[in-house]
Amino acid sequence: MATVDQSDDSGGPLNRWVQRSIQDPERVYRALFYTAMVFFMVTTLFPFYWLLVLALTPSSAITGGGFIPDISLFGANVPFPLPVPQGFRPEGFIEVFQEIPFHLYMLNSFALAVTTTIIVLVVASLAGYVFGRLEFPGRAVLMLAILAISYFPPAGFVVPLYDIFAGNAVTIPFTDVALFKSIELLNTPGSMILPFSALFMPLSIFILTTFYGQIPDGLEDAARVEGTTRLGALFRVIMPLSAPGVATAAVLTFISVYNEYFFSSIMATSPQASNWSPLVGGILSYQTQYTTNFQLMAAASIVGVLPMLILVIVAQERIVSGLTSGALKE
Amino acid sequence: MSTETAGGERESQRSGPLVAATRWMENLSDTTYAYLLLSPVFVLLGAIAIYPLLRTFEMSMYAQTFTGLGEFVALGNYVDLFTGNMDRYLPGQPTFLPTDFSLGSLLTSALAVTIIYAVVSVFFETLIGMGQALILDQDFYGRRWIRAAIIIPWAVPVVIQGMMFYLMFLPSVGFLTPPLADLGLLAPTNTLNDTTSATFIIILSDIWKTSAFMALLILAGLQSIDRGLYDVAKVAGASKWQQFRYITFPLILPTIGVAVLFRSVQALRVYGIIDIVSNCTVVPSLSCMVVNAFFSGFNAAAGTIAFTTAAIIGILVMGIIVWQGEDAI
Repeated sequence: MATVDQSDDSGGPLNRWVQRSIQDPERVYRALFYTAMVFFMVTTLFPFYWLLVLALTPSSAITGGGFIPDISLFGANVPFPLPVPQGFRPEGFIEVFQEIPFHLYMLNSFALAVTTTIIVLVVASLAGYVFGRLEFPGRAVLMLAILAISYFPPAGFVVPLYDIFAGNAVTIPFTDVALFKSIELLNTPGSMILPFSALFMPLSIFILTTFYGQIPDGLEDAARVEGTTRLGALFRVIMPLSAPGVATAAVLTFISVYNEYFFSSIMATSPQASNWSPLVGGILSYQTQYTTNFQLMAAASIVGVLPMLILVIVAQERIVSGLTSGALKE
Repeated sequence: MSTETAGGERESQRSGPLVAATRWMENLSDTTYAYLLLSPVFVLLGAIAIYPLLRTFEMSMYAQTFTGLGEFVALGNYVDLFTGNMDRYLPGQPTFLPTDFSLGSLLTSALAVTIIYAVVSVFFETLIGMGQALILDQDFYGRRWIRAAIIIPWAVPVVIQGMMFYLMFLPSVGFLTPPLADLGLLAPTNTLNDTTSATFIIILSDIWKTSAFMALLILAGLQSIDRGLYDVAKVAGASKWQQFRYITFPLILPTIGVAVLFRSVQALRVYGIIDIVSNCTVVPSLSCMVVNAFFSGFNAAAGTIAFTTAAIIGILVMGIIVWQGEDAI
């Protein structure tokens, strides 16, 4: 498109293309479209490719540079447009698990994410049922309050929570009255699952409110006439009928917990898998005070991101609908 | 549940705590039942959100000394924070407010660097997200895969996102630092400990990760546009650009507004990516300062900054609610 000014009729594929484009502007839009698409593909996927390059390069060669080799093109030396691995050493992907028990860190992350997801789904289902299907005084105010809480920065919660989880007494705010001491929760799943649940519940509440509100009243009434209790109607009729919504809330909560950094890094004070340190602690363990193994860091990052890649490819419809309905509703 | 009794017995003859609880629950009014079902939410949010918020606020009202908490000073800490008297409790060399309007002083100010980070990254995320959304809005073969590829950065854990950009820009490993240093964008050595360079890299990584989120929100707006409008525009002879300028853009503007505010709220919380790619003393975001002050034992300073951050976000949220009115819920 930068060559529009060369419109002399001297042939050549570029000029022919330009000539035809002037007659049919659709071609320009299509070319722009494919250029933009390729650009976005390259920019989004490049960091993954870079991790792969580093994961395959032996750690001794990593700090040597030279990832962009010069190639000779028609006699001129030009840099190759993509970095290439300096050697081929796939053993890194096995050493990731030998150096530190990386699989245990990932299992910790999975366990935390699954537990949080279950808690959030149960509690948010109750709330979603109430907000979506019942009319009662204070409904709008309560929803607004939950929304407002979800906007507070985690930094506003972390200091008192850390204190409590470290085993200090729960004190009534603005007094010195100590109520009771929590058991020490630091380095246990509780210290992460509790903040995660509070942090990610509001989004699930809003998603489930939308979905539960769409189930026709007649179906719930029919179940009640059949003799189901009120709670039974929620868990046996409304929840199964809103399966896409429940799946959406579950997928988003799972991804959010797996990706969380703030509480994961602060509440797991020692980077030991046995102390429930999640993915964050695992990946940062390849960097110790004395050595930093860049190859294993890159390989571990690839291993750690694989579950998310699979989840996005499998559940992208759910992610898209959840993000758009949840965030725009909020 | 209760009709499973054999032999035609009436359910009212069954007893036991479970049955009693069920019967009690069945007879509640809608309002009481609603509040009963909401009680787990109240307990969880009360314990994990409201209680810590109140305690944080309480903590911020005691004088900060180098040995611990002093006497009650009410809002004195907030005055100190905005007059610069609190800066000595911030680990590293950051200030809260910028001392002047040079770039160096802006980027070492906790408040300014957080706002710069939020504004710049959200601005570019909106532009790129709009581009991605316009592409995803087309019908083409393999759209599903392109969409997955565009969403993937959003689903990458913060620690891995940090690793990617750390390894791309660490001068001894990454290949991107020398060419960008030649352009004068980055410091050629010690790049990740240079405030300006590190801020640039962190903004770049956030744009990479979160543009997809913007794209999805804008895509939802695009897909709610009546396609008939474009047919009318074609008949009227409007070019593609005119179609975008006079149909698409005005109709998705409200969606973009919500998405921008929503993203800004998240961007103002930035912590993790700074912690991995660089260091909280190099790029002193507000959340970083809270964590650093807390781990240095300055609880009152941490509480003051935390609550100030919450207040700034609160003002933004009020913006959302005023803008959207009842629809915000």
